[in-house]
Amino acid sequence: MNHENLSQSEQVSALMDGQLTGPAFEQTVQVLAEVEGARADWYAFHLVGDVLRSQALAVDGARDAAFLARLRLRLQTEGQVEQPEFATGSVDAPALQDGAGVIKNFDKASANDTTLRWKWVAGVACLAAATVLAWNLTVGVGAPAAPPQLAQVAPPVPDQPPAAMIRDPRLDEWLQAHQQLGGTSALQMPSGFLRNATFERPAQ
Amino acid sequence: MPINRPLTHAARCLLASVALMAAALATAQTPAAGHSTAVAAAAVGTPVQRSTSEWLLRMHEASRRRAYIGTLVVSSGGNMASSRIWHVCDGDQQMERIEALSGPPRSTFRHNEHVITFSPQRKVAVEETRESLSMFPGLLKSTDTAIDQHYSTRLLGTERVAGFDADLVQIEPKDKLRFAYQVWSEKKSGLVIRLQTLDGQGRVLEQVAFSELQLDAPVSMSKLTQMMAKTEGYQVERPELVKTTAAAQGWALKAPVAGFKSMSCYRRPAHADLPSGGPAVQWIFSDGLASVSLFIESFDRLRHGAEGVTVMGATHTLARRVSDKTGEWWLTAVGEVPAQTLQAFAQGLERRK
Repeated sequence: MNHENLSQSEQVSALMDGQLTGPAFEQTVQVLAEVEGARADWYAFHLVGDVLRSQALAVDGARDAAFLARLRLRLQTEGQVEQPEFATGSVDAPALQDGAGVIKNFDKASANDTTLRWKWVAGVACLAAATVLAWNLTVGVGAPAAPPQLAQVAPPVPDQPPAAMIRDPRLDEWLQAHQQLGGTSALQMPSGFLRNATFERPAQ
Repeated sequence: MPINRPLTHAARCLLASVALMAAALATAQTPAAGHSTAVAAAAVGTPVQRSTSEWLLRMHEASRRRAYIGTLVVSSGGNMASSRIWHVCDGDQQMERIEALSGPPRSTFRHNEHVITFSPQRKVAVEETRESLSMFPGLLKSTDTAIDQHYSTRLLGTERVAGFDADLVQIEPKDKLRFAYQVWSEKKSGLVIRLQTLDGQGRVLEQVAFSELQLDAPVSMSKLTQMMAKTEGYQVERPELVKTTAAAQGWALKAPVAGFKSMSCYRRPAHADLPSGGPAVQWIFSDGLASVSLFIESFDRLRHGAEGVTVMGATHTLARRVSDKTGEWWLTAVGEVPAQTLQAFAQGLERRK
């Protein structure tokens, strides 16, 4: 597979699937470290995957947003408290001389400054909020937008768990087994058998 | 097409961007656009001349008595497949050759209940006995047949299909637990040349049709027999299935689903090729036209995540966790029935051991 022609998002996706090796791997990791959009993709793809795999992982997306909001508040207050501590602590011990540079840098970056960290947290917070909404729509909107080979989501039936895309390798096996043995139908002889032999999925 | 194919990278990106876009719009959840009310065949006041089971018996007999060659096209859930079919009969002996024209090359041969499927690319031949093939017409002739209780049949008129005049027969369910069918049955012989499965709104879920058909064609049974026996060079596989009963496996239905009778039950041994393939029980039901398989295996937290319903054409699938004091299981119900029928099966399933 030629990974050079992939877009940045597709590279991230390929990396997630462990399909990248050598220079392509290094390059994509580098992109991931440097480009904010790539990290957003990384997060979003994992969330999409989680949601498709299990509803338990998508029960309350609002928790993520709330957590990030709290984290943000906490970082703000802790940043203010820690700063003077570092400044005073750095005076006596010679071992801390090496750390002085770090402390200097830290001094420069005030808590509400637009450091990378802040951008990152804010970005993730926005994304989390977006994905909370997105999950609600994944079931309805995601399915028709997906390519046709994916299973379609059933129209809602009252009193049943929300329809979900199932990508269990076993499902194919069951569909096949049902066709082979379950074709217990009066239409089986005239057409059911022919239908199944025509439509049979190749073994995985 | 396998539906378990991992999301391609492009599709994943698309899915993520659609999700984000949808969030940005923050629209209310609107279900998919209202379905078009399909044109159900006009109700012409034709008097019913044959009962559902009589029609089915006629169609069934036609397939047993006639030799033919044809091209069959199946369209289901946005997928399409076709095959070339040779059929021949001699007294009680039925032989068939089905050459897949779509997807990986595959030839299926059938001699009565005995079926072999050759996959030339993988050099594998799968040999099996399909008992269900011999259950008819016994099931149709038996007096307790559920078909007439749960379906009614109307003759809608005559249409031409694949060059033949055909009776268009509408088989309608009497409740919402099954789908309707429209069958085009060749006028003289009764052979089914086109079949549609319709949902409650009259939408076509699945269609099987001969695009080309030659009736009473010269098909040589001995030639087919020779071809079927040519397994050299192939690795012959025989799926191990152990016939059992649901009761012996500790399962029962506390509330039967109207019209569906238990037909058979098999134990499927652990699948060595699949890491996920633990042993499972397959319990098969039929109402005469539609069938449902219940696959029950022990629950595995790692593999069994999302409960829910999936659709492929007329085939619905429901996955759900079943538990009681003695254990936890994973049920996968598969059948060419509406989701609510699978729901009824899932609710009725009970552990008795």
